[in-house]
Amino acid sequence: MNERRPVALTKGPGETPHEFTMISPDRDQALKIGEFITYTAHVNGYEQVILASVTQRRALRLYPDDFLIDPGIDPDQMAALLGYDQPEHDLFELTATVIGYYDPDLGDFVNPRLPPRTGYPIYLAADEELAGVLTKKQLGEVGSAHIGSLLLREPNRVPIVLDLRAIASTHLAIIANTGAGKSYLAAVLVEEMMKPYNRAAVLVVDPHGEYDTLAEMVEHGAFAAGTYHPEVKVFRPGEVKIRASALTPDDLCYLLPELSERMEYLLRRAYRDVRQQSWDERGNAERWTRADLQSHLQRLGKGSKEEREEGGRYASTAEALLWRLRSVLERSVIFDDAKHLDLDELFRPGRCSVLQLNDVDEREQQVMVATLLRRLLHARTQTVKERVKKGNDLYLPYPVFVLIEEAHRFAPVAGNAVSTGVLKQVQAEGRKFGVVTGLVSQRPGKLDPDVLSQCGTQFILRIVNPLDQNRVAESVETVGRELLKELPALTKGQVIIAGEAVNTPILCRVRARHTRHGAETPDAPAEWMQYFAQP
Amino acid sequence: MLIGKIVKSNSHTDYVCQVYGSGEVAQPPAREDYGFGTFVRIELDKYRWLVGIIYDTQLVNPDFGRLGPRLSPQSELAVFSPDYLNEKATLVGIAAIGAMSTAGQVFQGVPDLATSADALVEWMTEDQVRAFHQRNPALQLAYAPLLLAQGSPLALHLLRKVVGRLVAFFPEHTAMLSVLRANLEWKAQVGPLGGAL
Repeated sequence: MNERRPVALTKGPGETPHEFTMISPDRDQALKIGEFITYTAHVNGYEQVILASVTQRRALRLYPDDFLIDPGIDPDQMAALLGYDQPEHDLFELTATVIGYYDPDLGDFVNPRLPPRTGYPIYLAADEELAGVLTKKQLGEVGSAHIGSLLLREPNRVPIVLDLRAIASTHLAIIANTGAGKSYLAAVLVEEMMKPYNRAAVLVVDPHGEYDTLAEMVEHGAFAAGTYHPEVKVFRPGEVKIRASALTPDDLCYLLPELSERMEYLLRRAYRDVRQQSWDERGNAERWTRADLQSHLQRLGKGSKEEREEGGRYASTAEALLWRLRSVLERSVIFDDAKHLDLDELFRPGRCSVLQLNDVDEREQQVMVATLLRRLLHARTQTVKERVKKGNDLYLPYPVFVLIEEAHRFAPVAGNAVSTGVLKQVQAEGRKFGVVTGLVSQRPGKLDPDVLSQCGTQFILRIVNPLDQNRVAESVETVGRELLKELPALTKGQVIIAGEAVNTPILCRVRARHTRHGAETPDAPAEWMQYFAQP
Repeated sequence: MLIGKIVKSNSHTDYVCQVYGSGEVAQPPAREDYGFGTFVRIELDKYRWLVGIIYDTQLVNPDFGRLGPRLSPQSELAVFSPDYLNEKATLVGIAAIGAMSTAGQVFQGVPDLATSADALVEWMTEDQVRAFHQRNPALQLAYAPLLLAQGSPLALHLLRKVVGRLVAFFPEHTAMLSVLRANLEWKAQVGPLGGAL
């Protein structure tokens, strides 16, 4: 490696213990912000190639402002007029942060804790060198996810291959502005999970109905190996039901807006009574129907004989509550008296289920996700602890991945969404039981900070809003401040990846999808013109 | 046209020339020939010259400050002591800013060689000035930093004058020279009054 031409010489230590400065004319303009460089140093008696990344770049030689008065005059010509005839005049002071030398046994970088001495030659890290150390997996390996290539190098020169095992143990978050490519990236990730070398059990919670193009994976050659073909099952709104009796009293209160204290009291009492009746009659507290609940409410509304003579103590309250209950539970397409989330149908290795929730009320979406996650965690807990056996509807003998689009809807920073608590619980406990979540959000500022900070792997695309940038900076510790400054400058399909799945934060160019993108922005002007073009 | 001869130097690039007076040469120079900012060439040998620019003028008058009585009136001195009258002289300061030769070689900057006392100083023609600044296809003014570095209070004004003359000589380079002139004008005229440089 040292046969290569050095691109800079070290100047001295930087402001922090892990930084150093270097001087370079950088004639090839190779030392971009975020670029990886190496130097060789002796650490504990061994020569080690130490990786660092460029974090700042400052020009040392600048033309005087006076040379720049006339935009039509090249300042180089002005310098030549005044006798400066050197072909190159640029000189830069660059700051770099030491990442460390790669320890193959450890599978990670070890910081030498010593900045390089003055005058050390600095080399641009070779593509092959980077491919071997930046990420933990190699292309095509079991548990690998080929997301794209290193942004600062030629496309596909340094593939970025994530470690799915690390993601599966710490959850992930994809954060970006609208139009920055977050759904595209999420789909790439799902594609990788469905590749023959992973065959994951994936569920995509899709509030906008834009992931159905993933179905193309079934026929696509990139996903076929031997007899394996991934399955993709798209559940349209209403095709997946929640049994009403699986709802908690909190779920019900959340679904019925603006309940008075009397209404809530009555509802909780009716709920308790209906469960008791179900237990007494069917041996299971969760075998009641919506009609049962309503009849209990009606009975409570009528009250005792004395209360009836007084016109019914809770009559009007019960009437109002019944009206709300009917308008939510009867009208909704997601609640049913018998059918309930069939986990075996939703989750199966090699199957990607897309749960479309467009046309579903936002509160119902939240209840749906809360119920789903609650049941999922319960099933996995019971299965791992061997409390249920094959044949039981809670038996789920493999880890699952749940990708949640528009995650700020399900764990908003403000309000009391029922799904927030469940999501937090899944993030805290799911890791042990193989329930992994991937959160996709365009408004990290509106996403619960605890939920965001629990995601051990972060994919951050372009973010312009300062509030959202601050939330990312607060919640995502693994990305350096310098790299976060890149956020507004990223373009579509460029992503910062940090956390457990990579060895160091990386600027990545997302690879092209195998399947079509389902969330293309409509071309409104073209459609308006088309209206007039019609005969 | 001869202007005078070198009588002393203050440094490698700073020469003093005594301007020919009446009777010293057949056609003594007029005031316009040794004005501020005039390009001159100083003889090195038969084929080479230093190129200089007049940046200062001093008048020498031995009679000034003499408080003693005069032996004869001023009008009679011309008759009885004409040499005494000739001791009055005009000295011009010349900054050496380069060199050129009969072979057409031109160098701008600190010259390698120094001239000698009594070297002849000659007014440069328009063609010679043009040749000194021409660097095909561009123009060169590499001595500008040298003039500014001398620290003379008149340096900015001298350079303004030079650039003004070059605009006339090289109209094709007006745009570039205008950038330089605009900066010099600002620094010379507005800078001293508090304009931010």
